[in-house]
Amino acid sequence: MLVLTRKLGEVIRVGDAVTVRILEVKGNQVRLGVEAPPEVRIYREEVYRAIRKENEEAALREPGSLDEASAAWQSRRDKS
Amino acid sequence: MTGQTVAVVSRRFGAYEVPADRVLHFPEGLIGFPGARRFALLDSTRPGSPFRRLLCLDDPELGFVVCDPASLWPGYAAALPPYEGGAENLAVLALVTIPQKPMEMTANLMAPLVVDPRTRVGRQLVLDTGRLSTRHPILPPGEPAATR
Repeated sequence: MLVLTRKLGEVIRVGDAVTVRILEVKGNQVRLGVEAPPEVRIYREEVYRAIRKENEEAALREPGSLDEASAAWQSRRDKS
Repeated sequence: MTGQTVAVVSRRFGAYEVPADRVLHFPEGLIGFPGARRFALLDSTRPGSPFRRLLCLDDPELGFVVCDPASLWPGYAAALPPYEGGAENLAVLALVTIPQKPMEMTANLMAPLVVDPRTRVGRQLVLDTGRLSTRHPILPPGEPAATR
Protein backbone atom coordinates (compact mmCIF):
# COMPACT_ATOMS: atom_id res chain seq x y z
CA MET A 1 0.00 0.00 0.00
CA LEU A 2 1.22 3.46 -0.88
CA VAL A 3 1.08 5.71 2.20
CA LEU A 4 1.20 9.50 1.82
CA THR A 5 1.01 12.25 4.42
CA ARG A 6 -1.05 15.31 3.48
CA LYS A 7 -1.91 18.59 5.19
CA LEU A 8 -5.33 20.25 5.24
CA GLY A 9 -6.16 21.53 1.77
CA GLU A 10 -3.56 19.42 0.04
CA VAL A 11 -4.40 17.07 -2.79
CA ILE A 12 -3.62 13.59 -4.01
CA ARG A 13 -3.97 12.90 -7.70
CA VAL A 14 -4.86 9.41 -8.93
CA GLY A 15 -4.07 9.07 -12.61
CA ASP A 16 -4.72 12.06 -14.86
CA ALA A 17 -8.34 12.67 -14.01
CA VAL A 18 -8.98 11.99 -10.33
CA THR A 19 -8.09 14.25 -7.40
CA VAL A 20 -8.75 13.82 -3.69
CA ARG A 21 -8.49 16.91 -1.47
CA ILE A 22 -8.34 16.96 2.33
CA LEU A 23 -11.13 19.40 3.22
CA GLU A 24 -11.47 19.06 6.97
CA VAL A 25 -10.00 17.07 9.83
CA LYS A 26 -12.04 16.88 13.01
CA GLY A 27 -11.20 14.30 15.65
CA ASN A 28 -11.27 10.91 13.98
CA GLN A 29 -13.22 12.20 10.96
CA VAL A 30 -11.76 13.39 7.69
CA ARG A 31 -13.76 15.11 4.97
CA LEU A 32 -12.50 14.44 1.48
CA GLY A 33 -13.38 16.19 -1.75
CA VAL A 34 -13.13 13.88 -4.75
CA GLU A 35 -13.16 15.18 -8.31
CA ALA A 36 -13.41 12.61 -11.06
CA PRO A 37 -15.00 12.19 -14.48
CA PRO A 38 -18.59 10.91 -14.38
CA GLU A 39 -17.62 7.44 -15.60
CA VAL A 40 -15.50 6.95 -12.48
CA ARG A 41 -17.91 5.64 -9.85
CA ILE A 42 -17.20 6.74 -6.31
CA TYR A 43 -18.75 4.86 -3.41
CA ARG A 44 -18.24 4.71 0.30
CA GLU A 45 -16.72 1.29 0.79
CA GLU A 46 -19.42 -0.06 3.12
CA VAL A 47 -22.14 1.02 0.68
CA TYR A 48 -20.37 -0.67 -2.22
CA ARG A 49 -19.99 -3.88 -0.20
CA ALA A 50 -23.62 -3.86 0.92
CA ILE A 51 -24.84 -3.50 -2.66
CA ARG A 52 -22.49 -6.14 -4.01
CA LYS A 53 -23.63 -8.53 -1.29
CA GLU A 54 -27.29 -7.80 -1.99
CA ASN A 55 -26.78 -8.29 -5.74
CA GLU A 56 -25.21 -11.66 -5.01
CA GLU A 57 -28.09 -12.66 -2.76
CA ALA A 58 -30.64 -11.49 -5.32
CA ALA A 59 -29.12 -13.74 -8.00
CA LEU A 60 -31.64 -16.51 -8.48
CA ARG A 61 -30.76 -19.99 -7.32
CA GLU A 62 -34.13 -21.50 -8.19
CA PRO A 63 -35.90 -20.75 -11.45
CA GLY A 64 -39.22 -21.11 -9.62
CA SER A 65 -38.54 -18.18 -7.28
CA LEU A 66 -40.44 -15.79 -9.54
CA ASP A 67 -43.58 -17.87 -9.23
CA GLU A 68 -43.11 -18.10 -5.46
CA ALA A 69 -42.78 -14.35 -5.27
CA SER A 70 -45.86 -13.85 -7.42
CA ALA A 71 -47.83 -16.32 -5.30
CA ALA A 72 -46.75 -14.60 -2.09
CA TRP A 73 -47.75 -11.25 -3.55
CA GLN A 74 -51.10 -12.57 -4.69
CA SER A 75 -51.96 -14.26 -1.40
CA ARG A 76 -51.14 -11.16 0.63
CA ARG A 77 -53.12 -8.94 -1.72
CA ASP A 78 -56.13 -11.23 -1.67
CA LYS A 79 -56.23 -10.87 2.11
CA SER A 80 -56.14 -7.10 2.21
CA MET B 1 -35.13 -4.00 -37.40
CA THR B 2 -33.55 -7.14 -38.71
CA GLY B 3 -35.60 -9.60 -36.73
CA GLN B 4 -32.46 -11.23 -35.38
CA THR B 5 -32.74 -13.07 -32.12
CA VAL B 6 -30.30 -14.07 -29.42
CA ALA B 7 -30.73 -17.70 -28.45
CA VAL B 8 -29.78 -18.69 -24.90
CA VAL B 9 -29.51 -22.13 -23.38
CA SER B 10 -29.47 -22.16 -19.60
CA ARG B 11 -29.46 -25.13 -17.27
CA ARG B 12 -31.27 -23.05 -14.69
CA PHE B 13 -33.74 -21.11 -16.79
CA GLY B 14 -34.19 -23.32 -19.83
CA ALA B 15 -33.77 -22.34 -23.46
CA TYR B 16 -35.20 -19.03 -24.64
CA GLU B 17 -34.83 -16.49 -27.42
CA VAL B 18 -34.73 -12.73 -27.22
CA PRO B 19 -35.18 -10.37 -30.18
CA ALA B 20 -31.85 -8.58 -30.59
CA ASP B 21 -33.58 -5.20 -30.44
CA ARG B 22 -35.04 -6.04 -27.03
CA VAL B 23 -31.70 -6.77 -25.35
CA LEU B 24 -30.80 -4.41 -22.50
CA HIS B 25 -27.17 -3.30 -22.34
CA PHE B 26 -25.35 -2.54 -19.09
CA PRO B 27 -21.86 -1.49 -20.24
CA GLU B 28 -20.53 -1.47 -16.67
CA GLY B 29 -22.26 -4.69 -15.64
CA LEU B 30 -23.85 -4.79 -12.21
CA ILE B 31 -21.98 -4.15 -8.99
CA GLY B 32 -20.20 -7.41 -8.21
CA PHE B 33 -21.02 -8.76 -11.68
CA PRO B 34 -18.86 -6.65 -13.99
CA GLY B 35 -19.18 -9.11 -16.87
CA ALA B 36 -22.99 -9.20 -16.80
CA ARG B 37 -23.64 -6.69 -19.57
CA ARG B 38 -26.51 -7.94 -21.69
CA PHE B 39 -29.89 -8.83 -20.23
CA ALA B 40 -33.33 -9.94 -21.31
CA LEU B 41 -36.38 -8.73 -19.39
CA LEU B 42 -39.09 -11.38 -19.42
CA ASP B 43 -42.63 -10.92 -18.17
CA SER B 44 -44.06 -13.07 -15.44
CA THR B 45 -46.26 -15.91 -16.60
CA ARG B 46 -48.74 -14.93 -13.88
CA PRO B 47 -51.07 -12.12 -14.89
CA GLY B 48 -51.09 -9.26 -12.43
CA SER B 49 -47.72 -10.10 -10.94
CA PRO B 50 -45.54 -7.03 -10.36
CA PHE B 51 -42.44 -9.16 -10.86
CA ARG B 52 -40.43 -9.85 -13.96
CA ARG B 53 -37.38 -11.90 -14.68
CA LEU B 54 -34.09 -10.29 -15.71
CA LEU B 55 -31.85 -12.91 -17.26
CA CYS B 56 -28.22 -12.39 -18.18
CA LEU B 57 -27.21 -13.27 -21.73
CA ASP B 58 -23.49 -13.19 -20.91
CA ASP B 59 -23.86 -15.67 -18.05
CA PRO B 60 -26.89 -17.87 -18.82
CA GLU B 61 -27.02 -19.18 -15.24
CA LEU B 62 -27.34 -15.66 -13.80
CA GLY B 63 -30.82 -14.26 -13.40
CA PHE B 64 -32.76 -11.94 -11.13
CA VAL B 65 -36.32 -11.10 -10.23
CA VAL B 66 -37.09 -7.40 -10.60
CA CYS B 67 -40.03 -5.13 -9.93
CA ASP B 68 -41.00 -1.59 -10.85
CA PRO B 69 -40.37 0.21 -7.56
CA ALA B 70 -42.66 3.12 -8.43
CA SER B 71 -45.63 0.77 -8.73
CA LEU B 72 -45.05 -0.54 -5.20
CA TRP B 73 -43.89 2.69 -3.54
CA PRO B 74 -45.50 5.79 -5.01
CA GLY B 75 -43.06 8.67 -4.84
CA TYR B 76 -39.99 6.52 -5.33
CA ALA B 77 -39.24 8.30 -8.61
CA ALA B 78 -38.56 11.44 -6.59
CA ALA B 79 -35.56 9.67 -5.05
CA LEU B 80 -33.85 9.39 -8.42
CA PRO B 81 -31.31 11.99 -9.49
CA PRO B 82 -32.25 14.32 -12.35
CA TYR B 83 -31.87 12.75 -15.75
CA GLU B 84 -31.33 14.81 -18.87
CA GLY B 85 -33.74 12.72 -20.92
CA GLY B 86 -36.49 13.31 -18.37
CA ALA B 87 -36.86 10.99 -15.40
CA GLU B 88 -40.37 10.00 -16.50
CA ASN B 89 -38.82 8.39 -19.57
CA LEU B 90 -36.49 6.14 -17.60
CA ALA B 91 -37.37 2.55 -16.94
CA VAL B 92 -36.52 1.79 -13.31
CA LEU B 93 -36.15 -1.72 -11.94
CA ALA B 94 -35.43 -2.81 -8.41
CA LEU B 95 -33.67 -6.12 -7.81
CA VAL B 96 -35.74 -8.43 -5.61
CA THR B 97 -34.14 -10.78 -3.10
CA ILE B 98 -36.28 -13.85 -2.46
CA PRO B 99 -35.24 -15.73 0.69
CA GLN B 100 -36.28 -19.21 1.77
CA LYS B 101 -39.54 -17.71 2.99
CA PRO B 102 -40.80 -15.79 -0.05
CA MET B 103 -43.13 -13.70 2.14
CA GLU B 104 -39.98 -12.03 3.47
CA MET B 105 -38.78 -10.92 0.05
CA THR B 106 -37.17 -7.51 -0.21
CA ALA B 107 -36.35 -4.98 -2.90
CA ASN B 108 -33.07 -3.13 -3.26
CA LEU B 109 -34.22 0.48 -3.36
CA MET B 110 -30.73 1.87 -2.73
CA ALA B 111 -29.30 0.51 -5.97
CA PRO B 112 -31.97 0.45 -8.70
CA LEU B 113 -31.30 -0.36 -12.32
CA VAL B 114 -32.19 2.48 -14.65
CA VAL B 115 -32.58 1.98 -18.38
CA ASP B 116 -33.06 4.55 -21.09
CA PRO B 117 -35.78 2.92 -23.21
CA ARG B 118 -34.65 4.70 -26.37
CA THR B 119 -31.14 3.28 -26.31
CA ARG B 120 -31.82 0.26 -24.05
CA VAL B 121 -28.63 1.17 -22.19
CA GLY B 122 -28.73 1.07 -18.44
CA ARG B 123 -26.72 0.99 -15.29
CA GLN B 124 -27.06 0.33 -11.60
CA LEU B 125 -27.38 3.56 -9.66
CA VAL B 126 -26.29 3.97 -6.05
CA LEU B 127 -28.59 6.27 -4.08
CA ASP B 128 -26.41 6.81 -1.02
CA THR B 129 -28.77 9.18 0.75
CA GLY B 130 -29.12 7.22 3.96
CA ARG B 131 -32.89 6.93 3.45
CA LEU B 132 -33.12 3.98 1.10
CA SER B 133 -32.46 0.38 2.03
CA THR B 134 -30.89 -2.48 0.09
CA ARG B 135 -33.51 -4.68 1.80
CA HIS B 136 -36.83 -2.91 1.73
CA PRO B 137 -39.68 -5.31 2.63
CA ILE B 138 -42.08 -5.83 -0.28
CA LEU B 139 -44.99 -7.36 1.63
CA PRO B 140 -46.32 -5.75 4.78
CA PRO B 141 -45.62 -7.83 7.87
CA GLY B 142 -48.56 -9.98 8.82
CA GLU B 143 -49.52 -13.46 9.79
CA PRO B 144 -47.93 -16.17 7.70
CA ALA B 145 -49.85 -17.07 4.58
CA ALA B 146 -52.22 -19.96 4.97
CA THR B 147 -50.82 -23.25 3.77
CA ARG B 148 -51.91 -23.68 0.22
